[in-house]
Amino acid sequence: MKLKRRNPPAPQETIVSLIDVIFFLLVFFMMVGRMDATAPFEVSPPVSTAGESLPKGGTTISVAEDGQMALDGVAVAQNDLLTRISSLLSEDQSLFVRINAHGEARLTNLLPLVTALEKAGVQDVVLVVTPNPV
Amino acid sequence: MKLTRRKRNMALITMTPLVDVMMILLVFFMVTSTYLDLDMMPMVQSEAESTGAPGTPAATLLIRITSDGNARLRGQPLTAANLATALQDEPGTRVLILPSGGSNVQGLVSAIQTATEAGAENLRVVRLEAPE
Repeated sequence: MKLKRRNPPAPQETIVSLIDVIFFLLVFFMMVGRMDATAPFEVSPPVSTAGESLPKGGTTISVAEDGQMALDGVAVAQNDLLTRISSLLSEDQSLFVRINAHGEARLTNLLPLVTALEKAGVQDVVLVVTPNPV
Repeated sequence: MKLTRRKRNMALITMTPLVDVMMILLVFFMVTSTYLDLDMMPMVQSEAESTGAPGTPAATLLIRITSDGNARLRGQPLTAANLATALQDEPGTRVLILPSGGSNVQGLVSAIQTATEAGAENLRVVRLEAPE
């Protein structure tokens, strides 16, 4: 008589540790990342190691190499931009404005904007720089 | 004869769909995020924060930024060393940066960095007026 050996049941793989790792990674990326509206054009900020740490919050104005502008990720003309900033300013007097200008953008596109913002009553305007070239 | 109903096995909760969803979320965040290390330079500060005592006329040094983005101090290319030497004579000297409109943002930022490295405390950028 031929005896048939029964196959032992395959050991169950535990996926609990895998879930743990994935969960940690997920939480890590959600914590370290700051969700920010990106400009509809290419912006690589100027490089400088003399910058101070960038506070969170506020509103972002992006300036492209050719002078195009965007407010919080939406392209706008400069006149509309100032109107919107004024309305934001009426809601919040201590509005914080970040200017994310392309390193190769001309100062004729940047400095008049800063002056106009200051005239509009914005008291806190900063220029975004990066310590590491992108 | 008494019939006993066999107890059914409890339905197992499968973890696989949960893992799938988390994996998709993870990949989504990894793909859609761009990681930038960003700092800032103040351009406009409220009066309370701005440095420099009003009413005390201080000596002024002028740094020009040419349209090609190079900074010059007293006709010489700007370096942290020559600005530091100029600042040594009179501490508290106001440093004005006069950029050419044709210069790029990087040129201005580099000049501010050099001036900061040289120890300039009272630093101002001469701004162009918005065209009417």
